[in-house]
Amino acid sequence: MKNLNLITSLFLLLLLSSSISFADEKPDEKKITLKMPEDVRAVVDNSCFGCHNTDSRNEDAREHLDFKTMHQLSDIKKLGAFKEIREVIEENEMPPKKFLERRPEKELTEEQKKILIDWVKKESVALMNQNQ
Amino acid sequence: MRRIFQLLILLFILALVVIQFFQPEKNKGEIDSNHILKSEQLPEEISSLLSNACLDCHSNQTNYLWYHQVAPVSWFINGHITEGKSELNLSDWGSWDPIDKITALDDMATEVKKGKMPLQSYVLIHRKAKLSEEQKASLTAWAESLSEKVLTGE
Repeated sequence: MKNLNLITSLFLLLLLSSSISFADEKPDEKKITLKMPEDVRAVVDNSCFGCHNTDSRNEDAREHLDFKTMHQLSDIKKLGAFKEIREVIEENEMPPKKFLERRPEKELTEEQKKILIDWVKKESVALMNQNQ
Repeated sequence: MRRIFQLLILLFILALVVIQFFQPEKNKGEIDSNHILKSEQLPEEISSLLSNACLDCHSNQTNYLWYHQVAPVSWFINGHITEGKSELNLSDWGSWDPIDKITALDDMATEVKKGKMPLQSYVLIHRKAKLSEEQKASLTAWAESLSEKVLTGE
């Protein structure tokens, strides 16, 4: 009986530790790594992140922009990314039309476009000011 | 049969002559103070690399070869120039804000590094535009160091 207790507690301990290590891993799985306001995050999450992340099967998309590693970019690369985000949204190139045919709910409203564009403009200016 | 053949050749020549009257406007603007060669103090090597490999399509000044002025080649060339300028026009360099300069330099470095620019079809005809590995390295190193300078406001 004592033995059984020991085994049970060991088992419980193991279970606990595994769940702790699992909890430890969670921050790595966190989706968007760059700090951004909640309204921006919601739009990125809904319309961009699906393809623009490290584990995306869309190679082209993840090479252009990866929201999981974006925080590691140099300031210059970040400025480039922000500019590209602004351009593709202003030109209505993203999300791609073909993708929207299947997932019309991912289309950006005018308001959402403005949220993203205002954000990248503000971030770019902030990055410049930080370095001057 | 021979008659038809002769007629076809005649028509073809006629068409070639007629299309010569439909020429795109030439990319031959004046170099003003906003041009990158004027507004930026560039090392000699970089100026000549830019002139030889980039500026035909990425500025308002193209050095045309004689057959570039013959349609339909002139149409094809004009399409390239228009597209090149819409992506990057170094004649306007001086008028850009620092963010645009930084992102342009970063793009230039990336494209050259990956070998996407200058375009292969362009290099095939313009042998001077072919960049050696050292030339690629100096061009990207220049672009990277200038973008750092613009970023820090030096």
